[in-house]
Amino acid sequence: MRFSAVFILATLCAVLGLSVAYLKVSRLSVPLDPTAEATVWDVEARIAFEGRGQPAKVALTLPDTPPGFALLDEDFVSRSYGLAIRGSENGIPRQAVWTVRRAAGAQALYYHIKVYPKREEATQDPGPAPTFPEVPEYAEPLRSAIEAVLKKAREESADIVTFTSLLVANINESDDENVKLIRKSATEDGWARMLTEVLAGARIPSRIVYGLPLEQDFVDTPLTAWLEVHDGERWHGFNPQTGQDGYPTNFLIWSYDDPKITVTKGVRNIEVGFSGNKTPMPQLSVAKRVESKLDTGLLALSLNDLPVRTQNVYRVLLMVPLGAFVIVLMRGVVGVPTFGTFMPVLVALAFRETKLAAGIALFLIVVSAGLAIRVALTRLRLLLMPRLASVLVIVIGLMLGVSLLSAKLGIEQGLSIALFPMVILTMTIERMSIVWEERGPGTAIKEFAGSLFVAICGYYAMTEPHLVYLMSTFPELLLVVLSLCLCFGAYTGYRLSEILRFRDLAKR
Amino acid sequence: MFFDTWLKLRNAGILGLNARNREYIMRHNPRRRYPLVDDKLTTKRLAIEAGIAVPQLYAVFQTEHDLTKLAERLAPYSEFVIKPAHGSGGSGVLVIDGRRKDLVVKPDGRGLTLDEVEFHVSNILSGIYSLGGVPDDAMVEYRVRVDPIFDPVSYQGVPDIRLLVYRGVPTMAMVRLPTRQSDGKANLHQGAVGVGIEIATGRTTHGVWQNRSVADHPDFGVSLSNLEIPNWPRLLELGARCYELTGLGYLGVDIVIDRTHGPLLLELNARPGLAIQIANGRGLRGRLEAIDRLDAIPDTPLERVQLACELFRVH
Repeated sequence: MRFSAVFILATLCAVLGLSVAYLKVSRLSVPLDPTAEATVWDVEARIAFEGRGQPAKVALTLPDTPPGFALLDEDFVSRSYGLAIRGSENGIPRQAVWTVRRAAGAQALYYHIKVYPKREEATQDPGPAPTFPEVPEYAEPLRSAIEAVLKKAREESADIVTFTSLLVANINESDDENVKLIRKSATEDGWARMLTEVLAGARIPSRIVYGLPLEQDFVDTPLTAWLEVHDGERWHGFNPQTGQDGYPTNFLIWSYDDPKITVTKGVRNIEVGFSGNKTPMPQLSVAKRVESKLDTGLLALSLNDLPVRTQNVYRVLLMVPLGAFVIVLMRGVVGVPTFGTFMPVLVALAFRETKLAAGIALFLIVVSAGLAIRVALTRLRLLLMPRLASVLVIVIGLMLGVSLLSAKLGIEQGLSIALFPMVILTMTIERMSIVWEERGPGTAIKEFAGSLFVAICGYYAMTEPHLVYLMSTFPELLLVVLSLCLCFGAYTGYRLSEILRFRDLAKR
Repeated sequence: MFFDTWLKLRNAGILGLNARNREYIMRHNPRRRYPLVDDKLTTKRLAIEAGIAVPQLYAVFQTEHDLTKLAERLAPYSEFVIKPAHGSGGSGVLVIDGRRKDLVVKPDGRGLTLDEVEFHVSNILSGIYSLGGVPDDAMVEYRVRVDPIFDPVSYQGVPDIRLLVYRGVPTMAMVRLPTRQSDGKANLHQGAVGVGIEIATGRTTHGVWQNRSVADHPDFGVSLSNLEIPNWPRLLELGARCYELTGLGYLGVDIVIDRTHGPLLLELNARPGLAIQIANGRGLRGRLEAIDRLDAIPDTPLERVQLACELFRVH
């Protein structure tokens, strides 16, 4: 019964920790590998025009939470222009408005964004369902042509999606007289507009979206028009040239319905061209920007909200449970004897600062020197507390001595001995000298070697860069460590050392 | 190979430390009862109240101030043992065998001045031998005289008998014999020999030394098997009664056999070690589970001893 309670708790902790981490990976694109790079698109709109030597005003429609993309960054190159950003309101999309008292000659303004194509399926905001359009008053003979074409498509299709698909393909390709008539009614750049008119004849809500397919780098390209049809639940995209449903890959939607994305006053010959190119960017910084744009509750768990100093403290603290877990394994499963329970973790923490080789050398120097002095103190028959205090004083003296000596010799590692936990060193020396006297040098050295071995293992666990990254980026993994500790708390199997100890019994 | 040994040990019912801690000690030994066995003075008082024989207590030193009366209080005795009330594993035990002029003499013949004895007691008081270094009491008690049966197999010191009592039923037993290496101490960690004893008969089987099986005493070369422990049924009953005394379900009982006073309770242990399995050449688990399978465990120590003799009769 106790068994199952432990495992239920352990499972709960593990599931909780892992699912929060999974959400962070999948929703916020936080990478599991710190070196992972994401592809980010730099897209630039260039607005070129000529001033007429009078006050000028240029308004540009800006993309606003384009579906399937995270907008990481935007900036404006405005020169001497005043800039105002208007949020979307009353059906008017978000706009940048540049104004200047006097503009003359060729002018150029730039609008620059960084977008990150999200891995998941484009989740568009369904918004309120559009109302069904009224059947337009077509002029004859267009009216009968459209009716005939609609009738044909209706007969051959099953639902709105296939209907639209067929209809658009038909209008594009058929040699039918009716279709020719319809085609003729469309102006060159009003092709998509004509399609929406025809669709309105079947009372199907449709709209045109203007955007950029982000596939290959491009320079000075206009926006691509795409047809969208609402099937009562959500919008579906259609290629206005083929009727194929779907969107181009990575279709960055810039504006809806209106082909004119600029509104101007006092300028002429306005031209808008778009350029874009792929740039690699560390996935982690992408994730951080995605975080700051979104406002999810998950991010309350991010270390980045803390002051940098505190962050660094936690980066170390979050590794301590891993060190403790190494001890759990070493003592409970392997059966390595150690002095004290957590002494190896603290020594491993000190190794973190001193680096391993220097740390082990310093540790050995201080403990063996301290031990020698401690043995000398035994002869003086000091009482326990004063003796411990004396050993502590001597340990600190030794540390200072080593630091001074290495400063003289120019060995930088020697200075870091100051980071050793001196009380732990003192207790280690005391424990070791007692074990030495009671059970002989063999046992004392064995336990000392065991402690050092566990400390080294702990050091490797606590400094492994990938683990450090994982723990500081996903602090919720603490729950997983907790779960593992709970599991091993219920481990009743043999320790590996016991197999050695009892091996004679196995022979019988 | 390792895994093979693992399986063999499991099949033999060898109890490991993890299983002992979690399945027996944590389940049957309530923490609040630990002080009863951790403090030997308390154990002794309880035992005396319950009429269990213990080595006579001569004196207790609790403060440094008490030490001024040390010589005076030790004066009536020429043989005695000084030990810390919270010591473990025989550490801090000082055995005095006699007096020579102003000196007291250890069993190996070395003389100590009273000042040296005083320093030892002072060390005990400061907590050097107690777990966690907390201040301790020093007790002086009757020096047990070894029953002659053990003379051929013990190097100085006093052999003691470890009885594992599970839920009041004596479950496994061994005798620990001092060796030269253990410096006369009956402590397996320090090099004493452990010899298994059959519960039903009180006869020794074979030994364990330094975690390895041995047939003969490492110092004297005499066979360790087929020694008959005197007063065995009384000793078993004494062990079984310690269950009522402490309420600990998984209990190590250490008993010495005095030449004149017979079995005396020396100390109790709430976390008895597992070497007893090696000494007996068999795992504990089978026996513990046999006791757990019983519908009821008798209330009186005597009945439990009978039960143990029936359950653990070796054919």
